[in-house]
Amino acid sequence: MPEQNITYEDITPLLLKYPKDQRHALAIMQDMQRHFNYIPRKGLEALADYLGCHISGLYSMATFYKSLSLKPKGRHIIKVCDGTACHIRGAVNLVSGIERVLGISADEVTGDGEFSLELVNCLGSCALAPVMVVDDEYYGKVTTDRLPEIFDALRGEARP
Amino acid sequence: MLIKIDGKECGCKHGEFILEVAKRNGIEIPNLCHHEGLPGQGCCRVCIVEVEINGWRNIVTACVYPLERECEVFTNSPRVIKQRAMVLALLHSLAPGSSEVSELCEKYNVPSYRRFVKKNDTKCILCGLCAKACESLGTGAISTVNRGTGKAVTTPYGEPSYECVGCASCAKVCPTGAIMVEEGAGSRKIWGKKIPLLKCKKCGEPAGTYMELRRAAEKLGEGMPELCEACRKKEIAEKLASIYGY
Repeated sequence: MPEQNITYEDITPLLLKYPKDQRHALAIMQDMQRHFNYIPRKGLEALADYLGCHISGLYSMATFYKSLSLKPKGRHIIKVCDGTACHIRGAVNLVSGIERVLGISADEVTGDGEFSLELVNCLGSCALAPVMVVDDEYYGKVTTDRLPEIFDALRGEARP
Repeated sequence: MLIKIDGKECGCKHGEFILEVAKRNGIEIPNLCHHEGLPGQGCCRVCIVEVEINGWRNIVTACVYPLERECEVFTNSPRVIKQRAMVLALLHSLAPGSSEVSELCEKYNVPSYRRFVKKNDTKCILCGLCAKACESLGTGAISTVNRGTGKAVTTPYGEPSYECVGCASCAKVCPTGAIMVEEGAGSRKIWGKKIPLLKCKKCGEPAGTYMELRRAAEKLGEGMPELCEACRKKEIAEKLASIYGY
């Protein structure tokens, strides 16, 4: 959802789930990330207002954690493992394959907002190398010719 | 309690930090991120010393190490010299533009390591003292953002902060003078924000930014101050002198 379409009516229910206490800041930001696919500026400002703290501290947290993002991410998040085992078994080819199919490289989002691509360092499933995870679903021994089929199936699907 | 620092006997209280005791006894321990008004930052690691307790020797950070039992402290043991040189070399590669860091490097004969790549000419050592000062003054306009190699100190979204009052406390506590403050005719520019300065009614020198003085006045519940700090002190001194008949 683009920033200008987000209203305080969208944000307030996320805030009200938690008491007004600074220790809930991270939990609320995680909820926002899940709800909007990113943390909108309005959300961060509303949160600072709600908790009675400075926006600088929240901004610091939001930029510190990798699971939080200040820019919109795709509806489906593709994580390609580029750890040692996956790297040797062709993770780089997989990334260029995704680039061909979806037209995005690492840390980018497709124009329709469906997919975003991230490179991670190890997913702990080296026996399945090269591994790709989309929305917490594991795909092992992925070959580039399987990619269009996987993404087409996901495109129609609702977000989990 | 008695401890020994470099062979000198020093009295100290339980829980006091080594750096304070050393300073009181005239023993120099170099440091960058320590500020008396904002203790406990403990991140530049320049003030490392070696502590010996019951024959066990350990490298500790003098500014945050509380003294709990009798011990002997060495501020210039071979281990300290070696590790401090490495800390300083790393800080120098992080902030090659800082004269404070290069002076320390020179003073402690730090060799230049070719494997440490100097990326830019910044002065900031990322100690975060500025953000701590801003936060503890209740302004909270700046903070450290990102992490790892991308870590930096900025305002939210890198834009001029509406919370910043331009008090320049961040620049005052900065150990390496990394924060830019431009004071021009009638205004001060800091963190990309220009704030008008208020002039002292007596001497005409700038007394502070309009916003910081208003904030201070609100907190104290007084009217806007009309004099700069120097003139205010002078006025109080004159008042006291006339009361006591000097």
